[in-house]
Amino acid sequence: MSKQKPYPEYRRKLGPGWWLSNSHFTQYMIREWTSFFVAVFSLIYIYELSLFATGQKGSALALMKNPGIITFNIVALAFTLYHAFTWFYLIGKVQPIKMGKTKSKPWQALMLNIVLLVILSYTVIWILVLRSG
Amino acid sequence: MSQDIATIRVTRYRPEKDGEPYFQDYKVPYRKDMVVLDALNYIKANLDGTLTYRWSCRMGVCGSCGANVDGVPKLTCASFLHDFRGRTIKVEPLPNFPVIKDLVVNMDDFMHKLVEIKPWIIREKESPPEEGEYRQRAEELERYAQFSSCINCMLCYSACPVYGLNEKFLGPAATALAYRYIQDSRDQGKDVRFPIVHELEGVWECTLVGECSVVCPKGVDPMLAIQKTKILGATNALKSLLMPRGGK
Repeated sequence: MSKQKPYPEYRRKLGPGWWLSNSHFTQYMIREWTSFFVAVFSLIYIYELSLFATGQKGSALALMKNPGIITFNIVALAFTLYHAFTWFYLIGKVQPIKMGKTKSKPWQALMLNIVLLVILSYTVIWILVLRSG
Repeated sequence: MSQDIATIRVTRYRPEKDGEPYFQDYKVPYRKDMVVLDALNYIKANLDGTLTYRWSCRMGVCGSCGANVDGVPKLTCASFLHDFRGRTIKVEPLPNFPVIKDLVVNMDDFMHKLVEIKPWIIREKESPPEEGEYRQRAEELERYAQFSSCINCMLCYSACPVYGLNEKFLGPAATALAYRYIQDSRDQGKDVRFPIVHELEGVWECTLVGECSVVCPKGVDPMLAIQKTKILGATNALKSLLMPRGGK
């Protein structure tokens, strides 16, 4: 009996627009993109610090006041907050805290982390800016 | 009971004839209590006997009737037709798997991964049967109970873009099952499974998309199992680095 050759299987590949097919994928991809904005912000920040360090205070301040840089900082802040809030929510999903017979919900972790973020941010601002002012 | 008509748009792929899959529409009369699987069975029995798909229990237990229904991986036996009222229902084979025929996909890769993680209780030394069963307290069972509900339907693999982009990734269900045995107080196979789940294409490949847990029809949370396995691995690595005799 001759051995029959198996019929070919149809293989599908994910196209470059796969992350647009589902709102969860899109949200995930936006979270991944936040790293780009954080990286660019860090590079600009390091450059500004280097200007200060080399005595070019005027250039550093001019760069900080540049409308393009301010707009970018606002966009980067929005992306960073989006990253932080979605991660806070995921922390609640991955590490729920046992409370008696029930477990904490992800939104509780999100709220708790937001409160901690506000307290910590205010403490840092108070130490660095408000205390000396 | 009144009957409406649903339009079911099914992927057809006949490897002996077709180079590529195509869609074929069928009109199916349905009642409120009918599911997508009932519609496929109606097509097979009354309209087109060549339509090919997998199914068995019709009650969300066997996990064999998974398909992409309206763009989302679902069990066709648990997707009611009236939920799609007024629009064409697209039924496609599960994404991320090669298509053998129509809605039937090749599951070999998943089956190999399932065996790879050794989904059974491993003992260093088996006790003789006369000593009785390995007993377990309720709180010990609770540590892994949800992960033992997996029915191997592969919906999580179909929903996972990481697996879609890299089929070497161990994937959600296999990791959830590995974690289920790692957490089982009767099991002593942690050292055997750890190298498998922590290899290059193991848990660390997961980038936390989370869609695997969204589509699971049994309420299993594979994303949680993968992250918990990462935590266990990182803790173990730290212990072996910092503590005498690897913290054992």
